[in-house]
Amino acid sequence: MTTTQASPVPFDPELGAALSVLAEQLPPTLTPDMIPALREGPVMPQPTDDELRRGGRFEIEERSVPGRDGDPDISLLICKPTGVTGTLGCIYHTHGGGMIVGDNRSGLDGMLDWCERFGLMLVSVEYRLAPETPHPGPVNDCYAGLVWTGEHADELGFDPAKLIVAGGSAGGGLAAAVTLMARDLGGPPLLGQMLMCPMLDDRNNTPSSLQMAGLGVWDHTANQTGWGALLGDAAGGPDVSPYAAPARAEDLSGLPPAFIDVGSAETFRDEDVTYASRIWQIGGQAELHVWSGGFHGFDGLAPTAAVSRDAQEARVRWLDRILNA
Amino acid sequence: MRDLAVRLAALDAEAGAALRVIAYFDRLVEARAGLQSIVRGAAVLAGCPARLDDDERRVRIRMLPTGEAAPVPDPPRPEWPHASVGSGVLWLERDGDAGPVDAMVLERACGAAGAVLDRTRGRAPAPDPASVELVVDPAASPEVRAQAARRLGLAADAPAYAMATAGGTTHVLAAADPPPPGRAGIGPPGPILDLPASHAAARIALRFTAAGTEEDPGPLVVRHAELGGLALLADHAGEPVPDVRALDHAAAAAPWMLSTLYAVSAASSLRGAAAVLRVHHSTLQDRITHAEHLLGWTVREPAGRLRLQLALALRRLAKW
Repeated sequence: MTTTQASPVPFDPELGAALSVLAEQLPPTLTPDMIPALREGPVMPQPTDDELRRGGRFEIEERSVPGRDGDPDISLLICKPTGVTGTLGCIYHTHGGGMIVGDNRSGLDGMLDWCERFGLMLVSVEYRLAPETPHPGPVNDCYAGLVWTGEHADELGFDPAKLIVAGGSAGGGLAAAVTLMARDLGGPPLLGQMLMCPMLDDRNNTPSSLQMAGLGVWDHTANQTGWGALLGDAAGGPDVSPYAAPARAEDLSGLPPAFIDVGSAETFRDEDVTYASRIWQIGGQAELHVWSGGFHGFDGLAPTAAVSRDAQEARVRWLDRILNA
Repeated sequence: MRDLAVRLAALDAEAGAALRVIAYFDRLVEARAGLQSIVRGAAVLAGCPARLDDDERRVRIRMLPTGEAAPVPDPPRPEWPHASVGSGVLWLERDGDAGPVDAMVLERACGAAGAVLDRTRGRAPAPDPASVELVVDPAASPEVRAQAARRLGLAADAPAYAMATAGGTTHVLAAADPPPPGRAGIGPPGPILDLPASHAAARIALRFTAAGTEEDPGPLVVRHAELGGLALLADHAGEPVPDVRALDHAAAAAPWMLSTLYAVSAASSLRGAAAVLRVHHSTLQDRITHAEHLLGWTVREPAGRLRLQLALALRRLAKW
């Protein structure tokens, strides 16, 4: 009996065209030796304070708060809308970057739009990166920031019943992980978890992970690089904590409603679909969007494409439902 | 992550930017992307709104650099950069200095759009005279007519109308679609199953049309709904009417006679008629005096003008 090598899923035409332009700056594959160069040459120029203020519509503040169990202090970037009347909610953001790059100013643009639209403040955590800080350092930083945020809702000025965690890619994995920790460790109650193309499974062996090797953004090898940096030789082995890789969690019950989206043409497709399915199977709430022909992070890299606009809108509609319905 | 628009906006006009534009549209063509994607690509890469207008193929697409589709607000300005795509034009709504990749975007987007237009809208829908005949045939059963309408691409619940051309062909069109150019009678729009009535009306309207020449002046297109009581004349066209004979008698006297009389009957004033005919007012007065003598009635009074209008209409009807 022979097995047929699965062909890759074709990219959406507009996304494929965008990828052909981005490819030279954004190789699909990433090996550990490329990490320093990746951090140096900013693929993603970060917004300045002024850009975050959006002409005075936000006030911003950096707060240093204690790390977990004697870990070093961590920094929280707090963006608070100025023109909002009534009670604010709060988005707690864990940034993406494969566990190895990025900072707490990555990926904020769309979230500030949500903040203005729904009256939310944004708290974005600066966690330590792998490989210098392996698991559990990064997720502990994220969790400590979440606990501090929940405990200081009054001081910060938001309604603790409207706290939502959100993140994309590795940040989606971290958001899922702190949601599990909050459930298990008596952390702050959460209204929802917004997991955008989340990185959930260190085993890196799903059909989508193999099928899209060498293609798109963040392929099989890049994923290996990220998990290897976080977990070392333990990656893919028997003893990985669900707080490192939420796909490893045996129990997905008792979680706040999840929003999960992912492209059909990316490494994370199958692990993200499985995560949503497992939440439903245990009786939980999840909304899953699989966008046809989407590569990893498509809506951020090619935000003008029709499918990207639909993906962005789906998030806004979910937020509207959980916040206002 | 920074988006594509920002990345490209930062590029200069050197080869790198041009190559990216080429790569972008090549991939769209390879993936058989549609017109919206192509126009959106032009808007995003050029950093200004882009639009594709092709009236012949009824294409009207306008995209903003954010990727949003936006309805066409104003006619394009001739000074905007543009290039033709078959019978259409792709515009970049660029006021002021050209962007670094405008020319390349226009060239490559037009190439891509041309391929799509040829593939998808290259020719008018294949004529299907048998289905047209059925859909306007009052003797055919409603089921058969509904089936024929589906084959012709007419939506079951949208109004449609029939059009009869001077060449003897019948068209059926969705009410939202304008009639193709040419001499034709147009029936009233209505439900699909009322198309036989619309067709009968279109054929009556056609008889009121004219070639629009000096020998046969009159309207090229007539809508039955605008005929009013005049439509009743169609039933009596076979009967000899002395006023039609008088018209023919007058027409034999001068080549300008019929076009002059039609202009007088259709214009709201004699000055208006003179303008349409491009003759001096006094020339027109002389012509009318001559015509009235040959006709035997005055055409400067309302009653005389109505008599003239009726005579002209009966003369056209007598030709069919």
